[in-house]
Amino acid sequence: MKKPIAIKVNNLSKTFVIPHEKITSLRSAAITVFKKKGYEEFEALDDVSFEIKKGEFFGIIGRNGSGKSTLLKILAGIYTPDQGSVRVDGLISPFLELGIGFNPELSGRDNIYLNATVLGMSEKEVDEKFDEIVHFSELGRFIDQKLKNYSSGMRVRLAFSVSIHANREILLMDEVLAVGDNNFQSKCLEEFRKYKSMGRTVVLVTHDINVVRRYCDRAMLLRQGKIVSIGDVNKVTDQYVFDNMSDEEKRLLEEEKYRVKKEAEEKARREREDKIKLAKAKKEQLALEKKKIEEEKKAKAEKERNRFVEITKVEFLGKEGRDKKVFETGEKVSIKIKYKVIKPYKELNFGVGLHAVSGGQIFGYNTQMDDIEVQDNKTELTLAFDSLPLLEGEYFVNIACWGAVEQSHYDFKPNYATLKFFAKGRKGKYRGFVDIPHKWLDS
Amino acid sequence: MKKQHENYQELIWRLAKTDFKLRYQGSILGYFWALLKPMLTFTVLYFVFSSIFNPRNSDGVSTYSLELLVGILMYSFFAEGTGAGLSSLMSKAQLVTKIYVPRWTIILAATINSAMIYSMNLLIIVALFAIKGFLPEWQAVALFFLFSFFIYILIVSFSFIAAPLFVKFRDLSMIWEVLLMIIMYASPIIYPLVTLPAKYHQLILLNPVAFIVHFTKESLIHAHYADPSQYLIFIIMLIAFFVSSIFIYQKMIKRVAENM
Repeated sequence: MKKPIAIKVNNLSKTFVIPHEKITSLRSAAITVFKKKGYEEFEALDDVSFEIKKGEFFGIIGRNGSGKSTLLKILAGIYTPDQGSVRVDGLISPFLELGIGFNPELSGRDNIYLNATVLGMSEKEVDEKFDEIVHFSELGRFIDQKLKNYSSGMRVRLAFSVSIHANREILLMDEVLAVGDNNFQSKCLEEFRKYKSMGRTVVLVTHDINVVRRYCDRAMLLRQGKIVSIGDVNKVTDQYVFDNMSDEEKRLLEEEKYRVKKEAEEKARREREDKIKLAKAKKEQLALEKKKIEEEKKAKAEKERNRFVEITKVEFLGKEGRDKKVFETGEKVSIKIKYKVIKPYKELNFGVGLHAVSGGQIFGYNTQMDDIEVQDNKTELTLAFDSLPLLEGEYFVNIACWGAVEQSHYDFKPNYATLKFFAKGRKGKYRGFVDIPHKWLDS
Repeated sequence: MKKQHENYQELIWRLAKTDFKLRYQGSILGYFWALLKPMLTFTVLYFVFSSIFNPRNSDGVSTYSLELLVGILMYSFFAEGTGAGLSSLMSKAQLVTKIYVPRWTIILAATINSAMIYSMNLLIIVALFAIKGFLPEWQAVALFFLFSFFIYILIVSFSFIAAPLFVKFRDLSMIWEVLLMIIMYASPIIYPLVTLPAKYHQLILLNPVAFIVHFTKESLIHAHYADPSQYLIFIIMLIAFFVSSIFIYQKMIKRVAENM
């Protein structure tokens, strides 16, 4: 038997006109007339079609600006679509926030009536459910006090209590509904799960994939106003994680470019400053100063002479063999250290340490531990993992090269890079740092 | 789509009641302010202008106080109603952008408030008429209620256009304040129409507030009635304004949440 449809959206499009400067006065409107184009168009939703069945817990995910909130506002009737249609079967909750219309100067009692009426309840309904609402909010004693004397927690409780008694068949919920402390958030979500068991439909907009994975029956991924993926929750959230990964890679690449540029600028600036200093010293005939600078240079050169090895570059290769910073849990990872031998030395010891950004070392390996002799006539060394089962999170890498004893290092690159790991499917739910193979057995 | 609110009346009434309650909450005199404000205005204007204007009825009784009071009350009904209607959507932004309720209910609720205050103010008119021992004709009283209703239609029509427009153009409230002042002085409120040269009468009466105030006073106090055709033209214009305001409202309201 096919389940009846609660919401049917057909070819929905919505474009916003964003003025370059918001026209809120007649004067600016008059000025804008003479300019060529004082606005930009932003396509928030582009030809979106989908269906939500009755009794479904439906999640809509997407990054900021993907159009998910716009879609919700259209479903609620707050925005009018430019094109396409929305068909809703059943009473829909028209609110995206709790406690709409609440006024701090009114008593809790008055606010219940006001809020409930705005949510579409009739006076009679509120009369009937009033005691229940007060009871659920646990505010019995305070109900005739003004709202301004309530704590924020009490306000939220009151608002939530009214909204769940509004009895709508279809519930729309923006993530703003889920603000507040963790306790309250889960209370909300559990309450909405109860809704589901009563055969009601819940539409949830969020960017928290864990909430979607935990609560939703089906999900939809929006990106720049278009549906990227719809259907099975795991498929959709995996797609979202994957999209985020490639976005993150792009972002890191940009950041890296910017950093290199900045460093070059900084170096040039320092050199310039040194030159100016030197010239100044010369000019003032301060031999001492001059000597000091030269000494500094000498010391630097001396240090350079004492260095045996320099780590020139470290690459992090993923399954594609490409240098990157974003990996998937369990991906094949190779850390390739490129180095330059300045003076031949027999007992080189290279080490790699990996730490979680949130604290704690994941591993620290060096060649001496593993009884590997590093040849000083080579220029590359690779630490390879067939599978690096790190769970979702950020990790940073230290790279070092020592001599015979660990106390004196020839080159040390602390915090050389930060790696990001993303997990797909069930692994996204795991907590901790490492995915250790495991199974559950019953007796 | 099914109706979200089965009962718009309850929603409008609840919003209006809340506004009314909030307005006078925390002040010592409370609801009395609704009566006190126009009375004080009336007293000041009466002392200043009663020596200049001194109209009398056919029996030779001075009628300035009655004329002034009726004029002031009708005008402040118009001024407060349009002001509240103009800012109704902006001041209830949350109800527009975070939830769907039909927006006209918000506008209507704001205007109802001024109507409630006006009805309370009618007590003052009754009191003053009683003090003066003045009994208007019943047709005049009926006409007075009809004209009061016309003012309300004017307020609602204006608000249907101005409230969504105000969301986009915030200086509308300043402009309207100035216009309200002009409307007040261009209407025979402080002065009787006869003090102006007859050639200007038609021009002055083009202003609907002037028309209503003038003919209310004429009928209520002097038992003069205008030619029915004049009333008819006025009603037709009023209906035309009301209908077009609904069309304009429907066109503008679609994007009101985005512009907020």
